[in-house]
Amino acid sequence: MSSAIQNLVNQPYKHGFVTDIETETVPKGLSEDVIRLISKKKNEPEWLLEFRLAAYRHWLTMEEPAWASVSYPRIDFQDIIYFAQPKPKKQLASMDEVDPELRRTFDKLGVPLHEQKLMTGVAVDVIFDSVSVTTTYKAKLAEIGIIFCSFSEAVHEHPELVKQYLGSVVPSGDNFYAALNSAVFTDGSFCFIPKGTKCPMDLSTYFRINTEGSGQFERTLIIAEEGSSVCYLEGCTAPQFDTNQLHAAVVELVALDNADIKYSTVQNWYAGDENGKGGIYNFVTKRGLCKGVNSKISWTQVETGSAITWKYPSCVLLGDNSIGEFYSVALTNHMQQADTGSKMIHLGRNTRSRIISKGISAGRSSNSYRGLVKIGSRATGARNYSQCDSMLIGNSCGANTFPTIDVQNATAQVEHEASTSKIGEDQMFFFAQRGIGSEEAVSMIINGFCKDVFVHLPMEFAVEATKLLGLKLEGSVG
Amino acid sequence: MTQVSTTISKEKCFEQLLLGKTVKRVPGQYLSGSEGWLEAVRAEALENARALNFPSDRHDDWRFTDLSPLFQHGFQPVSSFAKLTPGDIEKFLIPGSTRLVFVDGCYDAGLSELGFSGSAGAHGVTVSSLVERIGDVQVETYFARQASFKQDAFAALNTRFFEDGAFVHVTGEAAAPIHILHVATRREAPSAIYPRCLVVMEPDSRATVVEDYAGLEDGVNFSDAVTEVVLKDDAQLQHVRVQRDEKNAFHIGHCSVAVGRGSVYAATSLAFGARVSRHDLHAVQMGEGAEIRLNGLALITGRQIADTHTRIDHAFPRGKSVQLHKCIADGAAHAIFNGKVIVHPGAAGTDSSQSSRNLLLSGKARIDTQPQLEIFNDDVKCKHGATVGQIDADSLFFLRSRGFSEERARNLLSHAFAAEIIIKIPVPSLVESLSRTILDRMSGVRT
Repeated sequence: MSSAIQNLVNQPYKHGFVTDIETETVPKGLSEDVIRLISKKKNEPEWLLEFRLAAYRHWLTMEEPAWASVSYPRIDFQDIIYFAQPKPKKQLASMDEVDPELRRTFDKLGVPLHEQKLMTGVAVDVIFDSVSVTTTYKAKLAEIGIIFCSFSEAVHEHPELVKQYLGSVVPSGDNFYAALNSAVFTDGSFCFIPKGTKCPMDLSTYFRINTEGSGQFERTLIIAEEGSSVCYLEGCTAPQFDTNQLHAAVVELVALDNADIKYSTVQNWYAGDENGKGGIYNFVTKRGLCKGVNSKISWTQVETGSAITWKYPSCVLLGDNSIGEFYSVALTNHMQQADTGSKMIHLGRNTRSRIISKGISAGRSSNSYRGLVKIGSRATGARNYSQCDSMLIGNSCGANTFPTIDVQNATAQVEHEASTSKIGEDQMFFFAQRGIGSEEAVSMIINGFCKDVFVHLPMEFAVEATKLLGLKLEGSVG
Repeated sequence: MTQVSTTISKEKCFEQLLLGKTVKRVPGQYLSGSEGWLEAVRAEALENARALNFPSDRHDDWRFTDLSPLFQHGFQPVSSFAKLTPGDIEKFLIPGSTRLVFVDGCYDAGLSELGFSGSAGAHGVTVSSLVERIGDVQVETYFARQASFKQDAFAALNTRFFEDGAFVHVTGEAAAPIHILHVATRREAPSAIYPRCLVVMEPDSRATVVEDYAGLEDGVNFSDAVTEVVLKDDAQLQHVRVQRDEKNAFHIGHCSVAVGRGSVYAATSLAFGARVSRHDLHAVQMGEGAEIRLNGLALITGRQIADTHTRIDHAFPRGKSVQLHKCIADGAAHAIFNGKVIVHPGAAGTDSSQSSRNLLLSGKARIDTQPQLEIFNDDVKCKHGATVGQIDADSLFFLRSRGFSEERARNLLSHAFAAEIIIKIPVPSLVESLSRTILDRMSGVRT
C-alpha cells in the first residue's frame, strides 16, 4: 500500500470535544428501580412503565448474541449510566432560551438550533445524551397535521398513537439489545405523517452523546399513513473518551397503503483511537414494516464511526407490491469492527427488494456484510437483487460477506452478487498518467466505488457523506 | 420383509449409536487390534463423539438442516453379511474401472475388480481395502488426520465404528477410473453404516476416483461416511462423489482434503437420494499455487432434504478456487447450500470465484443458500454470486413455440440446468447413466 493511501486513512476525529455542561444523571447500574426512576423522571403513564418492566424481565432471561464476527470484552451492564440530561435551567419557551452552551455545541457540530440559521427545509429534533433538547419547525409542520416531536412529548400528547405502534415492528423481546432498549429508552423522535400528506421538508434527528460513562438508548418511531411520504435523516457524533460507550437504539418504521418512507443515516460516532481504545459500541435494531399495499421503505446508511457497529436495517414486506431498499456504505479503519447488512423479509405478493452494500476496510479493521433475504411461501412473484462489494486498503484488514437466502416460493427470483477488490497499482498509475495526484485519485476511486449508494442520499447528506469519507481518508502525501 | 422401526428421541438415538460395535463378519477381514495407534484413535473418537453429541438447530452450521427424521430411529450395527451377486450391482457399474465394492460397509472381495492395482505399486496405483493395509505407513500417517473428529460428532462416530474402507495410494498415473461403490441393503432393523475412504496422491500423480453411495432396496439405514484426501505437490485428482441412496435412507458425509503445492483438486458431488442427506466438504491449501475446483448438484423432490456445506481455506499465495453449486428442489423438498471461502492473511494473489445457482420447481419446495466470503488479505480477486429462481419463461416459450409440451419443455430445461454439472464428470459412461437417471426423474419415472 502506498504511503499516500496510508495517510489518507489516518485522520483525526473532529467531533471529539466534550461540552462542559451541568448534567443530571441517575446512578450507574440497571435494576427495576432505575427503570422506575427513569419512568418517573419522565412522568410517564403506567402502561409505558409496564412495557419497560416487561421488557426488562424478558431481557434478564436473554443471552448476549455472539454470532456476529466482532469481538469485544464483555459489557458490564451495571457500569453504564442509563439516564443523563443537561440540567434544565428553566422552562423553555422558545429556541432562544436553549442553554447557550448547548447552542454553541451544536453550532460547532454544524447543526444550528436557530430556525433562521438552519439549512432551509430541514426540521431537526436534537437529542443530547438521554433527552431531546429541541425540535425545530414543529409548529409549521403541525399546521398540515404532521406530528414531529420528541418521543417523551409524544407519549404525553399522542398516547393513543404511541400505544398502537410502539413495539409493533420490533417487539420488546426481539433481540438482546432491543429488549434492553425497550426497558431503558429515554427519548428519541416521533413522527406521524397523516393520510395523503407529502411531508414538505426533510425531517431529521441529530444524536449527540456527551456524558462519559453514559449509554444512549433512544427510540425512533415513524408512522406514514395511507398515501403519505416522508424523508428522514439521522446524524450522530460523540466526544472522544477512552472508555467504550454503548449506544443501543431501536428504530421502527410503519408504512401503510401507498406510503413511502426514506430513512437516511450518516453515522459518525467516535470510533476509538488507532489502537482501538475507546469508541462507541453501536448495537442498533432498525426495522421497517411495509404494512400496506404498494408501500415502500428505503434505508440508506453511511457508517464511518463507532468502534463496533452491529446493525441490520430490515424491511418486512407484508403488503402486496411493497418495496424494500437498502443502500449502505460502511467504512472501517484502525481497529474498528463493523458487522452490518440488511434483512428483507418478503411476505406479500409481488414484493420487491434491493440491497446495495459497499464495504471499505483499512488499517486493522474488519468489515462484514451479513444479510438475509427470505421469501415466504405466500410471497408469489417476489424479487430481490443484492450486491455487496468490498474494498480492502492494506493487508491487515478483513472483509467478510455472510449472505443468507431462504426461498420458500417457486416464483421468486433472488440474486446475490459480491466481489472484493483493492485499489490497484495500475489504477493509481492510470490516474498519475493523467496528472491526478494520488490523494485525489484515491478519493475519486472510493467515490466511484460508493456512487451507487450516494445517489440515494438526500442532497445535503450526500455532500456531507462525500466530505466525511474524504475527511476520514484525507491526509498529506508523504 | 417388513422393517422393524420404533420412534425414539434424539438422545436415545444417539445413545443407541454409541452402543454400536465393530463386528467381525468375514473371517480374516477385520481389524486384528494389533495396531495400537488405531485403537487409541478409536478410543479418542468415542470420547469426542460422546462429548459432542448431535448438533442442535442452534448450531449455526446445522440451523437449516432438520435432522429430526433421523432421530426417530434406533440404528443397529450391521451384524450379518449380505451376499450379493454381480447381477445385483450391475446397474451401478462403470465399465473398465478398477472397483472396490462394500456391502453395508463391509468389503466384498468377490464383487470387487482390482485389476493390476491389487499388487502393490503396479502401474503406480494401490487400491485395496483399508483393513488389509492397516499396517501400511501411509495409512498410519494420514488416517484420521484430515477429518476433524474433534469438532464433528458424525466424523467421530465414523472414526470409532468404521469397519472397513477404501484405501487408494497413487504414485504414478492411474489409467482407469477407481470406482468405490458402497451398496446399502435392506435390513430387518434400521442399520448404521460407516463407510470410510483414504486417498493419498504422491507428488506428480494423476487419478480419477469415483465414490458411489447407492441403495439396493428401500429401507431405513444411516450412512455416516468419512473421506480423507491428501494431495502432495503437483498431484491432480478428479474426485467424483455420487450419493444415490434410497428414499428412506439417511446420509451424512464428510470429506476433508489437503491440497499440496501446485496440485489440482477437482471435485464433482452429486446428491440425488436419501430422506435427509448432508455433505461437508473441507478443502485446505497446503502450499503455493494450489487449485481447487468444486462442482455440486443436489436434485431432490418429495420430502427430501439435501444439505451441502463446503469450506475452502486459502492459506498460501497464488491459490485458485472455482466453485459452482446447483440445487434443484421439487415437491416439498428442502435444499441447503453453505459455501465458505476463507482467504487467510498469507494468501496473497488468491483468485476465487463461487457461484450458487438454484432452481425451485414447486410451490412447496424451499432453498436456503449462504455463500460466505471471509477475506483477510487485500491482494485478492474474490467474487461470489447466488441466484434462486424458476424456469425462465422466455426459454419455456421458445420450446413451446417449437411444439414441445409444457411438461417436456420444463423437463428439458431442468435437465439442461443439471447437465452443466454432470458433464464435468470425467467418466463418460457415468455421465451417460446419470444423465438418463435425471431425465427419468424429471419425467417422474423412478429408476
